[in-house]
Amino acid sequence: MAENVSKTKKLFTVGGLIVLALGIILYFAEAPLGLNRKIYDLPIFLIIIGLGFALKGFMSKAKSENELDLGSKTFGEFLTNNAILLAMLVLVVVICILQPRFMQIRVALDILTQSSTKLIMALGICFTLLIAGTDLSAGRMVGLASVVSASMMQTATYANRFFPDLPQVQVWMPIIIAIVACMIFGALNGFLVAKYDMHPFIATLATQVIIYGACSLYFDMPPNNSQPIGGIRPDFAQLGQMRLFAGIYKGFPGISILIPIAVVICIIIWFVLNKTVFGKNVYAIGGNREAAVVAGINVFRNIMGIFILASCLYGIAGVLEAARTAGATNNYGNGYELDAIAACVVGGVSLSGGIGKVGGIVMGVLIFTIIQYGLQFINVSPMWQQVIKGVIIAVAVAIDLTKYRRK
Amino acid sequence: MRKIFLITLTFLLILSFSAIAHADEIKIGACIYRFNDAFMLRFRNAMSAESEKLGAKIEIVDGRDDPTTQNEQIDNFITAGVNVLIINPVDRMAAQPMIDKAKAANIPVVFINREPTEEMLASYEKAYYIGAKAEESGTEAGELIAEYFKAHPEADKNHDGKLQFVLLKGQNGHQDMILRSKYSVEAIKNAGIEPVELASAIANWDKLQAMQIMNAFTMALGPENIEAVIANNDEMALGAIEALKNSDYNKGDKDFYIPVVGVDANASALDAMDKGEMLGTVLNDADNQGTAAVRLANALASGKDIKAIGYEITDNKYIWIPYQKVTRGENK
Repeated sequence: MAENVSKTKKLFTVGGLIVLALGIILYFAEAPLGLNRKIYDLPIFLIIIGLGFALKGFMSKAKSENELDLGSKTFGEFLTNNAILLAMLVLVVVICILQPRFMQIRVALDILTQSSTKLIMALGICFTLLIAGTDLSAGRMVGLASVVSASMMQTATYANRFFPDLPQVQVWMPIIIAIVACMIFGALNGFLVAKYDMHPFIATLATQVIIYGACSLYFDMPPNNSQPIGGIRPDFAQLGQMRLFAGIYKGFPGISILIPIAVVICIIIWFVLNKTVFGKNVYAIGGNREAAVVAGINVFRNIMGIFILASCLYGIAGVLEAARTAGATNNYGNGYELDAIAACVVGGVSLSGGIGKVGGIVMGVLIFTIIQYGLQFINVSPMWQQVIKGVIIAVAVAIDLTKYRRK
Repeated sequence: MRKIFLITLTFLLILSFSAIAHADEIKIGACIYRFNDAFMLRFRNAMSAESEKLGAKIEIVDGRDDPTTQNEQIDNFITAGVNVLIINPVDRMAAQPMIDKAKAANIPVVFINREPTEEMLASYEKAYYIGAKAEESGTEAGELIAEYFKAHPEADKNHDGKLQFVLLKGQNGHQDMILRSKYSVEAIKNAGIEPVELASAIANWDKLQAMQIMNAFTMALGPENIEAVIANNDEMALGAIEALKNSDYNKGDKDFYIPVVGVDANASALDAMDKGEMLGTVLNDADNQGTAAVRLANALASGKDIKAIGYEITDNKYIWIPYQKVTRGENK
């Protein structure tokens, strides 16, 4: 086993260095070879990937842990366990061949940007999955937060203002109001589940319907009367559209502000799940509820906490969505919860509760976004996209379950 | 038992009183496919205003884009005894059962915005349709692009004399989506410019979807290779503009500009045109359509002459309201 591990390490280090070298060669040899930017940013990608692998191999050598063991005795098992990831890699290669423009730094950044709000959603919903529940109201909360925040963030000169007499308030105010509105409904979710022991599926279904109705009522208030909200103030839109480090070298599009926001939230959630009593309680309740009760964990308080925290994240995602598109309708966020659940499942979160890691969820979201973006990139019909998405979910869960059975 | 009897009796009394109170009033039942649609909103406002003017009572319900919900709403209206129905079908090809229901109850029915087929309308002498000719909106959107292309030679970025465009389409199978897509391209051709479709996608009339699709298209094709964006409605046009802005296009710099056209002329689109982000749009005249619908419904329900409502009736079945082009600056 130990030999096997060191072999894998060597493979990583050497492989990484080869890729790195190839990238550097391509970077400098591009002009002499007459490729003339036909391969876009491929050399830079190779350098980054090579560096990543080499570092990973090197670092674990220092720690001498067997975390690099690919966890499978045979090659076939390795293939099945990582089928989704491998399918994605194949797809990426195919897309790169069909449409070389895919190999651009700005495409990678665009994918990360699109993943950001989805990741925030998925991190919220993972808490409810960890206690073997679910949250169907997530998507509608996004809609609620986007409508509420956008409605108070219109320019003074816009012809069709939601609140014609509203002064130009500070940006943070509508954001807080929108997120608090979501948290109230999150508290309702938690209350129904914790107090009446209702299954989260039905509790959040009820809340979902209530939220959509309430949001539509708000949206239909005169003088707006269900008009899509537009004329968003630039300072608010900046929250979703600002790009950092734009133009530090020629043609660099900048990093969308959504990416650091998602990263920060990711770190916070990782901390909450792994380093706090609350996080430990979440896993405990998800793993074995009765045992948790016996161990003296206050299930009521923790479940309330889970749903309120989750709804806070949906609220943030909704505000960012409104800022990113500079607009909102009550239909925003429709169906997002299912995408988020699917991403969690692909990322290894178990629907029977108690199992799931932040890293896995990040992977799940990225895999989904890359596949979706890539298919759009080569102009695959949206109907086929749906079919493919469904197949991915089914395969991911099937693999997950066979893994358990083997153990 | 006695209690139940008493309660029922009270309800019946209240019911009959309210029925008497409204006996003479014309009651119009209006079914809208979905409330949060900017165009149908203007339509609703026009209908409410005109009903008030005529002294008719109108009740408008939200079909929530669901054919089943809408059918139940129509049943409810018929049971409640409305004098006339105004229907904006969720699915225009499923209008036949609605017509049959109205016919069985002998209630006149006016379809709006989404046109049932000729055979369906012919199956009931009191069935009418008010709308705009969808092909006209496509033609005018295409003409806006063609006119811009001719007035600005630099718009032909690769100087090949052809027009490379991206098309964002509405919901699959929707009559407006089919006709607008077809006729906008045709209009460019008729103006003597050869159109080349770089890419097209269905964005379901939705801003967010259009933005994500356009994002991928700009990356895949390169914004410098796109010479025009044609969207089937304004919301999708605005989504496309957000995506273009993401690539630093349409932010006011003339050298980084892609003309974008939509249809509907809603408030956000006019705002975008004032800012110079959007080339133009085509106004589907909701005010006149809504007014015409209520006037026709009112005349039908009260047995007045439908030729005297102030709108021309074609083939004793149709009222056509023309589209109008709206370009930058006009609405300042």
